[in-house]
Amino acid sequence: MESDGLDATFFALASDLRRRMIDLLKREGGCNVNRVCEFFSAEVGRHAVMKHLAALERGGLLVTAKDGRDKRLWLDATPLQLIHERWTTEFSAYWPRA
Amino acid sequence: MADDNNSEDAVFRIFIKADIQRVWHELTKQGEAQGAVFNAWLHAAGGLRAGTPIQMRTGTGKHVIVDGRIEVFDPPYRFVHTHRFTQFDDPVCRVSYELKPVGDGVEVTLKVLGLPSGTRTARSMSTGGASIMAALKAICETGRPALGTRLTYWLFDHAEFMLPARTKSDHWPLESG
Repeated sequence: MESDGLDATFFALASDLRRRMIDLLKREGGCNVNRVCEFFSAEVGRHAVMKHLAALERGGLLVTAKDGRDKRLWLDATPLQLIHERWTTEFSAYWPRA
Repeated sequence: MADDNNSEDAVFRIFIKADIQRVWHELTKQGEAQGAVFNAWLHAAGGLRAGTPIQMRTGTGKHVIVDGRIEVFDPPYRFVHTHRFTQFDDPVCRVSYELKPVGDGVEVTLKVLGLPSGTRTARSMSTGGASIMAALKAICETGRPALGTRLTYWLFDHAEFMLPARTKSDHWPLESG
């Protein structure tokens, strides 16, 4: 069976903090790194935020772009769509049996 | 990029293991349904080049879903056009496809720029972008969209009568220049 290439996406999703970062990016698409650091400042420092953002980017869930001296961040839900298609659609036939 | 509080951008990116010409073809083909773009048909008032008005219509051609104009047409790397959903009164935004060869495939970036914040256009494009990218990947890599997407398209075909009257092609003449 061919790999679905979603390992990095599932890894990125396997963290409560990163899932909440996804929520933030969904609400505030185009925000900068400082905004994410500020939002999670009570829980983690900037270094940890950067590591989590890198994990999200490796998982295809984050797209970044330079904007002057700033770096802007957008949620990219495409991997979630692929997961939905790969797992929800393909396995939905099992649900009625549950 | 949007730089005010009344508009926003959305960005989607995906790697597709396919030839760049194959991916470009899926996004610009005419005379058949574009399975990556909600099975709509691309119509143009002339050759595909900057300045040409374009529309995405239903398969019957009776309804216009999107009305726009090409701004950049640089095969097989960049396709930019203005975008307005005919069923909404929202301001025009801009859709940009950028293709970049990477390894044995193509990195495709879809940007939707200047989405009018809080509008139905913004909601539709923010979610629709992921669907377009996923369908594009599936078509280019496997030859067809995923089962769920095909079922959705089947429903679209059979629910065309539910589209608002304002989307009828008669109201949206496709004229050059």
